[in-house]
Amino acid sequence: MGGHCLWDGTLSPNDFIASADDLTKKWMAINPNLPQWTWIPCQRMDVSCNAEGYLALENMYQLSASEVNAPTDDENYSAEEAPFDNATLIQSYNDDMHIYDFHIVYSFSYQVPVLYFRGYRCDGHPLHLCDIEKDLPPYSSKIRNESKWTFMTQEEHPYLCCPWYTLHPCGTSDWMKLLLGGDLPSKNPDMLHYLSAWLSVVGQTVGLRIPLELHDKSI
Amino acid sequence: MAAESPISDRKVVVHLRATGDAPILKQTKFKIAGNDNFCKVIEFLRRQLRRDTLFVYVNSAFSPNPDELVIDLYNNFGFDGKLVVNYASSMAWG
Repeated sequence: MGGHCLWDGTLSPNDFIASADDLTKKWMAINPNLPQWTWIPCQRMDVSCNAEGYLALENMYQLSASEVNAPTDDENYSAEEAPFDNATLIQSYNDDMHIYDFHIVYSFSYQVPVLYFRGYRCDGHPLHLCDIEKDLPPYSSKIRNESKWTFMTQEEHPYLCCPWYTLHPCGTSDWMKLLLGGDLPSKNPDMLHYLSAWLSVVGQTVGLRIPLELHDKSI
Repeated sequence: MAAESPISDRKVVVHLRATGDAPILKQTKFKIAGNDNFCKVIEFLRRQLRRDTLFVYVNSAFSPNPDELVIDLYNNFGFDGKLVVNYASSMAWG
């Protein structure tokens, strides 16, 4: 059995809570001007746990694909040619911004985190998956369509009881075992940074950008 | 003191390590321009291995965004003069 990592890629509920706390604090330190991860505590009748809840990152604004792809020729503009019109700017902001919410929920059956997300227009109209996919960078679609480890489904949010989109967790422990397991079977995986490591992968599939500093263990 | 070469001239040594059951490359160390994006490393691996689905990560820690600059990855996570990049094949559903 030498050379094989003994860890199975999962994490305990308490490790999830500790890692969530680490992610929240680091995100705040690195991205103070962005929406923040917030721990939402809750209680389910059928599970006994000292503390239970999920991480929420909400109101992430994203320019819709139509706005991003509009041709711009900024270098050729001079102040005289492009008068600034506040009314026009606000109008297009409302029409072309999409808003995203991301929740990280612990799965007791798979013993891994699961990402739930949804998008909607500024008028509150929810986005379908085909609309969301247009907002994502090209490499996101590539990863989602090609990798057998990530596929999206629509499921009932375990705490909010309405449908959200989610990345199915059945492959998570396999690739987390590779990612954090390392080569030394005697070395314990770094559970405190489990969520930031996990998020570096799932974030790419949903266009949620994770800053490099989040992985710097000296911070 | 000699002037430092501009960032665009800096090359980074990347050491590619197979993990899981991924095939091992004959040549595992390469130089890549610092101001290239990480997606160049991913694309290189895909061409060399003739596989599309790869799981690529750094330092038993995280998977870099494809548009991160290689020089930023090296400056923050490189050691011993190189950036170690691990790769594995994405498993098919069993």
